[in-house]
Amino acid sequence: MTITPDANWEARMLELIAEVSVMKVEQIRPEHRLREDLGMDSVCSLELISMLAEEFGLDISVEEAAGVTTVAAAIAMARRHLLAGAVPVAAARSA
Amino acid sequence: MGALASDQRARVRVVREPPPADPGADDAIVRSVRQFAHRQLDPLKLDREGRIPPEVLDGLRQLGVFGLTLPEAHGGVGASLSLATRVIAALAETDRSVATTVGLHLGLGSRGLVRYGDPALQAELLPGLASGAMVAAFATTEPGAGSDLSKLLTRVTAAGGELVVNGEKAYVTNGGLAGVVTVTAASPGDGSLERGMAMIAIPTATKGVTRGAEERKLGLRASSTTAFHFDEAKVPRRHLLGDPSTGKAQLEHCLAWGRTLMSAGCLGAATAALARAREHVAFRRQFGRTLGEQPVVRGQLAASTVRLEAMDALVAAAAAQDDDAALHRWSVSAKVFCSEEGTFVIDTAVQLHGAAGFLENSGMPLMLRDVRVTRIFEGANDVLLTHAGALELQNPVQLGGLPEPARLLAERVARRVARLRAQLGVRAFRRPELLHQLGQVVVWRDAVVAGCRRIGDPAWQRVLGREASAAVRAAERRLHPADDLARVLGGAR
Repeated sequence: MTITPDANWEARMLELIAEVSVMKVEQIRPEHRLREDLGMDSVCSLELISMLAEEFGLDISVEEAAGVTTVAAAIAMARRHLLAGAVPVAAARSA
Repeated sequence: MGALASDQRARVRVVREPPPADPGADDAIVRSVRQFAHRQLDPLKLDREGRIPPEVLDGLRQLGVFGLTLPEAHGGVGASLSLATRVIAALAETDRSVATTVGLHLGLGSRGLVRYGDPALQAELLPGLASGAMVAAFATTEPGAGSDLSKLLTRVTAAGGELVVNGEKAYVTNGGLAGVVTVTAASPGDGSLERGMAMIAIPTATKGVTRGAEERKLGLRASSTTAFHFDEAKVPRRHLLGDPSTGKAQLEHCLAWGRTLMSAGCLGAATAALARAREHVAFRRQFGRTLGEQPVVRGQLAASTVRLEAMDALVAAAAAQDDDAALHRWSVSAKVFCSEEGTFVIDTAVQLHGAAGFLENSGMPLMLRDVRVTRIFEGANDVLLTHAGALELQNPVQLGGLPEPARLLAERVARRVARLRAQLGVRAFRRPELLHQLGQVVVWRDAVVAGCRRIGDPAWQRVLGREASAAVRAAERRLHPADDLARVLGGAR
């Protein structure tokens, strides 16, 4: 099984975002800003990107992650990396 | 209360002249506080009684310390955080419980109201807080949640023109004395409230607010610690401090004040402990000379002396920051360094007293008991160290023109950040053990940078540099491979 950018992984991403934000998953919308809307500080938002990187086995630099400020941008970044090379789930998890 | 408040304002005005911008006036305030503490506070008695008696609270009110950082417009002195740290250190030189009570009132207790409070609410509450007629507390930690501020279970909702608060808070310093408590709560977006984290000023007499019993503690026994329970506690909307959508940043500002003032308490207590150790070793003779002449003792005194100066410099550096992000960073380093190294200094002082240092009447055990909690409250040090590492990884501090010991540590931090970024990228933020270790180097770097900026003597800088290097190396050796940990903890030996 491989992760491909479809509705399922987006749903999983939103779950992860909800885990570190003060919002419920059904309240989260793409235009939400990680800091102002979701109550994260700058380190917390990097932790979130870090969780996404681990979950989906993505290699993301600190600089690129620091540029992500909205839910939509986080999803777009993950999609970019996933399309660059679909990663087997097992490999992603053990990475 | 009205008469008392106006009387206090009169006294505060006396304390304030000449204006506080004049460093001489600041010195006079610090001197008068130190003198008051020395003459009026009996730390062993306070510890035994487990409370600050009314006459001591009255004395503190008359001194004007409760209004120190509160606005002049509401009867306060309008002093800076810098002056407040000096006053708290002066109190802590004699008694840590009193210093904690006042420091909490000035920092976490009233800062949210002063900085973010609605003008009508300020007019209502600040005069009483400035006079000390009312003491302030701050409630954020929840039973079972510890330091995780992102998962608050206490909730605020809007109903009609009111805020309704439900939840439980634990370990509230000043709880038993407080007339008003600033409470953190999650605001889930109900009604017209913004979603986010809210701070709400709740008078403790509000219906639905229940105070728990006084906690029995290892130290700081004369300071009050209680739990609070909020059951449909209703306050007017104006009791919301600032904007919940940026609540976390506002909370961070208050926490930074709290950490800085707590660090000042560590500084004051360690100053007293070292002074007493020096006094003791100057008179106590062993093997034909005073303890103070023995090389081993001299080494221990020097290790304490450089730490104490670095603590002082770090607290001053933190308190001088105007920018919130800079205050945040410096206050984290100050809190961790001053609590850890304050413990080191006090423990060394106990050791240098020999058996006498083990007897309660010497006052040394009280200092040791009182300092212990400083590594736990106001953000547990291990959490803050991980955070300090994460902050550095996210946004490395650029420092130039440093003396050698500070430069070496700054380079060590930079190398480590570069390696983590190259090897793990953003995933490094999910490696708390690595961030924690980086945090220890960051904290020592900040202490050595602040210390070396203040004290130019190369010998002093070298001693601090060697102490820092030893501490950092010890921290590095404590990072065990996960496999080894699994074997040890799994019992597979």
